[in-house]
Amino acid sequence: MTVLHSAPRFAAEDGLLDRLAAALGDQLVAAREEYGETVLDVQREAIVSVLTTLRDRFEYQQLMEIAGADYPARAERFEVVYMLLSVTRNHRVIVKVRAAENTPVPTVTTIWPNAGWLEREVFDMYGVLFSGNTDLRRILTDYGFEGHPFRKDFPLTGYVELRYSEEDKRVVYEPVKLAQDLRTFDFMSPWEGADYVLPGDEKAAPPPPAPAPVATAPVTGGAPKVDTPKTTDTPAATGAGEKADAEAAKPKRARTTKAAAAAAPDATEARPARKPRARKAGDEGGAGPAPEGS
Amino acid sequence: MSMQLEQSPTTGDEVITNYTINFGPQHPAAHGVLRMVMELDGEIIERIDPHVGLLHRGTEKLIEHKTYLQALPYFDRLDYCSPLAMEYSYVLAVEKLLNLEVPLRGQYLRVLFAELTRICNHMLNIGSHVMDVGAMTPNLLLFEIREDCLNFFERASGARMHSAWYRPGGVARDVPEKLLVDLGNWIDERLFPLFEDAMSLVVDNRIFKQRNVDIALVSREDALAWGFSGPMIRAAGIPWDLRKSQPYDVYDRMDFEIPVGTNSDCYDRMMVRVEEVRQSARIMRQCLAEMPSGPVASTDRKVVPPKRGEMKSSMEALIHHFKLYTEGFHVPAGEVYVATESPKGEFGVYLVSDGSNKPYRCKIRPTAFSHLQAMDFMSKGHMLPDATAILGAIDVVFGECDR
Repeated sequence: MTVLHSAPRFAAEDGLLDRLAAALGDQLVAAREEYGETVLDVQREAIVSVLTTLRDRFEYQQLMEIAGADYPARAERFEVVYMLLSVTRNHRVIVKVRAAENTPVPTVTTIWPNAGWLEREVFDMYGVLFSGNTDLRRILTDYGFEGHPFRKDFPLTGYVELRYSEEDKRVVYEPVKLAQDLRTFDFMSPWEGADYVLPGDEKAAPPPPAPAPVATAPVTGGAPKVDTPKTTDTPAATGAGEKADAEAAKPKRARTTKAAAAAAPDATEARPARKPRARKAGDEGGAGPAPEGS
Repeated sequence: MSMQLEQSPTTGDEVITNYTINFGPQHPAAHGVLRMVMELDGEIIERIDPHVGLLHRGTEKLIEHKTYLQALPYFDRLDYCSPLAMEYSYVLAVEKLLNLEVPLRGQYLRVLFAELTRICNHMLNIGSHVMDVGAMTPNLLLFEIREDCLNFFERASGARMHSAWYRPGGVARDVPEKLLVDLGNWIDERLFPLFEDAMSLVVDNRIFKQRNVDIALVSREDALAWGFSGPMIRAAGIPWDLRKSQPYDVYDRMDFEIPVGTNSDCYDRMMVRVEEVRQSARIMRQCLAEMPSGPVASTDRKVVPPKRGEMKSSMEALIHHFKLYTEGFHVPAGEVYVATESPKGEFGVYLVSDGSNKPYRCKIRPTAFSHLQAMDFMSKGHMLPDATAILGAIDVVFGECDR
């Protein structure tokens, strides 16, 4: 591909990947060059010796950056990415290792002293542990912060917000309360691969396939044989819930005539308890509760 | 000031206790919100533990939730003293993934304004550095220049500080011709008289030298090992400038020199910046002299929105505009690390794309992080007032350090 962009240009070296592969041996998992970047995937346990080799034999004198990245679908979900720079050969290389929450990455503070803060930042943001880093404190987040905010499963709004409380005369921490949910748009075309039902399209979805008739079960009289006994309906099954309640609470327009409305039976549910009716003359022998004070 | 008594070494017969003080987080010489827990032996600094992150806003997380174009203005808010230099790395990273060609006029304009940003940034840093060590007047002169710079940014982009003027593919809009003329005149008529006037008060000043020379010496090996960049590594005598060694845009056509220090102390760091201002003016003059005509942004309508006038008559332009400002453009999957020479050093962006219209990960490499980390070993054995000189010579801005 011809280079059209005008991003920083540094000399690409022919055969560099081969020489790196030869020097690193089986510590190297994969190596590639794309977009003009040299990217090396290496074994996590070997990161110290790999970076030492790169510094001492390949003249990558400077560690510019350690970045974390989170890929939740992977078994080892985190990537720790080291950006190295050679000021003598004028070249950059990206070295990556993978890690999980419980598999610490060996620290490289023994090679570069500035790795200390960079590792602290990756730990703070992603919860990747660095074995051997003697000062693995949080660095960017608040004192007493919990969680690792740059993980993909950490919400953008966080869990805690703080404000100055006029009553307490101090800053108080409270759970995040949003007046409106954070909007996330997905920009996917419903005609090209979006796998959700658009609002209003629920009925257009094909009905679930009819269950195949069970031939082996003999039809005996009485209750049908079922594997799971019938239990109370969940709100999801009945359609009950906040939405239905809100719908029910709306004042309905009278569709019936006044007379028909008067004849309609009383609601049987969700009615404030009425005072029991006072006993009348024709009520003897009734099953109703005894009136109070009689 | 919180004070904590500790048992500690003695001098002679007297027992002196080390004490720990908080430098910041609200301290005028901390250049923002920096809290440094200092352990002092008398007035000698024994240990510094800088606490950063008081201005952490989760920029990188926010960027993951925005389209590529919406993410751009966040970069202005990183180093708010040199906003355009922050945008520069990002737009170059996006262009590198897209392999997008920028028209020549766009490249010249970006270089021109990157250098104006450098001057603007150094005015603030030099001014506050000399004020931190006791000189008031130069700062007043330098702020005149800074004010002019901000006015130029306003004329180019409409905003004094948060320009959001660089865009993937070029710049947001062309500048008026009068602005280029005024810039050329300004360099001769305003910048140099004011700047040289201010520097004549500082550079050979005995008090200024006493406060800066031989303060925080850093060897070349240490400068490399601690990940120094920008004026910090050049002051250590290493002629490393990304504009020269890894040129981007039209920097390879520019004729300029890289100043280096000889002694690697705070005075050298300051003097490297002073010379950089002159070199930046030189680059600006070349840009103005060679400024080509033509479009200022790529004409690839899948990335760069069309002009408003075009939309009045072209259906396709209207559709492009709508798609770019709702969905945004998609960037091919891949990862790049792009670093440019910001006024403070190497400012890098590690951009991971998954092929969608939002960055999957955007790691920002701040310049101040590595420099500030070296604060402990640079100030060891120096006096407490030297800490402000060291901090001033680092040129730290917390918008960028804490992100």
